[in-house]
Amino acid sequence: MSHVTIFKRLPGALAGLLVLGVLGVGSAHAEVKFGALYPFSGQLALLGEESARGLELAVDEVNEAGGVQGEKVVLVRGDAVDNNQAIGEARRLISRERVKAIFGTYSSSRVIAASQVAELSRMPYFELGAVSQQVTDRGLEYLYRTNPTAKDMARTIIDMIEQAVSPKLGVEPDDLRIGLIHEDSSYGTSVAQFERQFAEESGLDIVSEQSYPASTVDMSSIVLALKQEDVDIVLQTSYQNDTVLFLRQASEANYKPKAIIGGGGGYSMQPTAEAVGHDAIDGVLDVDFTQYNVDPEFAPGVKQFVADYKAKYGESPRSGHSLNNYAGAMAILNAIDNADGFEADTILSAVEAIDIPMGETAAGYGVKFGENNQNTRAQMMGMQWQDGELVTVFPKEAATAELQVNQ
Amino acid sequence: MDIVLQILVNGLMLGGLYAIVSVGLTLIFGVTRVINFAHGEFLMVGMYLVYLLTTRLEVHPYLTVVGVLPCLFLLGALTQKLIIERLQNSDEHVQIFATVGLSIALINLALLVFGADIASTPSSGLRTRISLASSGVLLGQLVIFVTAIGLVAGLQLVLSRTRLGRAIRATAQNRAAARLMGINVSRIYAFTFGLGAACVGLAAVMVAPLYPTSPNIGTYFVLIAFVVVVMGGLGSITGAFVAALIVGLVDAFASYYWGSDLKEVAVFGIFLLVLILRPSGLFGTARNLSHVSP
Repeated sequence: MSHVTIFKRLPGALAGLLVLGVLGVGSAHAEVKFGALYPFSGQLALLGEESARGLELAVDEVNEAGGVQGEKVVLVRGDAVDNNQAIGEARRLISRERVKAIFGTYSSSRVIAASQVAELSRMPYFELGAVSQQVTDRGLEYLYRTNPTAKDMARTIIDMIEQAVSPKLGVEPDDLRIGLIHEDSSYGTSVAQFERQFAEESGLDIVSEQSYPASTVDMSSIVLALKQEDVDIVLQTSYQNDTVLFLRQASEANYKPKAIIGGGGGYSMQPTAEAVGHDAIDGVLDVDFTQYNVDPEFAPGVKQFVADYKAKYGESPRSGHSLNNYAGAMAILNAIDNADGFEADTILSAVEAIDIPMGETAAGYGVKFGENNQNTRAQMMGMQWQDGELVTVFPKEAATAELQVNQ
Repeated sequence: MDIVLQILVNGLMLGGLYAIVSVGLTLIFGVTRVINFAHGEFLMVGMYLVYLLTTRLEVHPYLTVVGVLPCLFLLGALTQKLIIERLQNSDEHVQIFATVGLSIALINLALLVFGADIASTPSSGLRTRISLASSGVLLGQLVIFVTAIGLVAGLQLVLSRTRLGRAIRATAQNRAAARLMGINVSRIYAFTFGLGAACVGLAAVMVAPLYPTSPNIGTYFVLIAFVVVVMGGLGSITGAFVAALIVGLVDAFASYYWGSDLKEVAVFGIFLLVLILRPSGLFGTARNLSHVSP
């Protein structure tokens, strides 16, 4: 063997040593592995990564306080870039990485796919951010969800109209003419369906309902129809592009309804506000996950979360997804800490016992699992764009500013 | 009456938008017979270029045409030279899949570089509303409409009156005969592909101030561009323009009177009808005849 070949092999040998070293250190301190299954690449990467950061911060905090049951938590990432890969990565986490539970997943379709695999392997799966009703409606035994859903979004929107918008306007709720517009995939359709249901139950008057493909490039006819119907309050459930398009085209056509209430996604993001322009977006209402301009008395720990986030990632949080993932993960990890062992059933009974009242997590809402393992205390918040900032205006306990309306 | 006029204007403006995006696609198809599935991504690349140039250099979006057109021309010509030409003699499905691959690669490249968030080009006053009779349009929309007409007329003129245009048409009609006449077919193909891509570049310059840019913005436009191109007759530039106006008008009227969820039924219904009555499209002629001759 010549010297050259020895040198060629040297890096490999060093790497081998390094691996041994890491393994040695690993076995010296006890550690427990959990899976972090999110879309880290592809179309959904931005908010997938943002969601995962919440989980990472929760794990850091727990580890600093001594870990769970005295063991250091190690997160193993799985990249759920599409539904098939979500399944593949769930399998890898379960059988190769031997994680004790999976956390995820931001996208409803990814968790619906991946949780089937987890269910068959009796693997606890904690969903911290997907909103589709279907995620928990399938009645899986090992899947728990901490975050509010599409139904909660519709609930808060209708409550906000009844309890905050209509008193401000000085108009009876049933005298308001309400228009629903939504993108036509399962997300927009299901939120709109609950909006219609709750509106009917409350006796609100929906005078117009229109769906459109999220990839639309023109909404001028929708704006015209709403204008023609003399709609007072527009409810839109949308992604980002169609949010920008609608708000721009409405203001360009001089259409000024008494209120526009958006559902999630595009409405909460700063780039949307910049694209639409502060003049046009000022006063627009939005119902979504808890955001950062929330009363810290109602969401204890939110300020600390933002500080920790900035320290770790060197930028401000890009959306409320990280905060909601963090709050959910903290509740679950603390519960597991109180259990004895990491058997699936032990973890589940510990989680079943969680009983956190409203106003005691960083996201504001409490945690208590009910039917289909859905968090019954999860709740969305009402926000409003005021002077270029998204501030919480509903419910009152969480509000940092007064709701404003065009008379 | 006012409302009908407003819908009519909206429809025409939408038609102009569809036209300017589709012209490049039909030009490339007409000459090289390659169906370019990366067409929408060329638009996306152009829009990001406009965004970068306007925000970095703080110039009016329309001025970026100086930089965007050559860049897109180069992108198109290189696509032809480096990808399509190497597959020229293989099955045409292979070429289609190559452009699909290019499209996926470009989308993911944009995701990598710019992220999934939207990038909005400053509108520089192009989103001001101007009154036309009793209806209104945006300044930028009107410019798109006029530019689309200019582009179609200009291309027709180049193709029918210039030596280069004659060479392009000859190549489109019969590749082998054109080569025998001393035309450098490979160069003509690269030039045409580049020209088609530059047309998309022009579209990008016009569209960027009005629509937010995102990595998948191309997919929003490309389906309707294919409808327009097939309906107008593959390879016919005038056909694409007329078809774009029809689609725009149907789109606007159907979504007002039938609801926006049903507008695609109307658009695609008319599309099917045209194809049943005239399988080669409105202005299409039988294969191998010149698509640009009057």
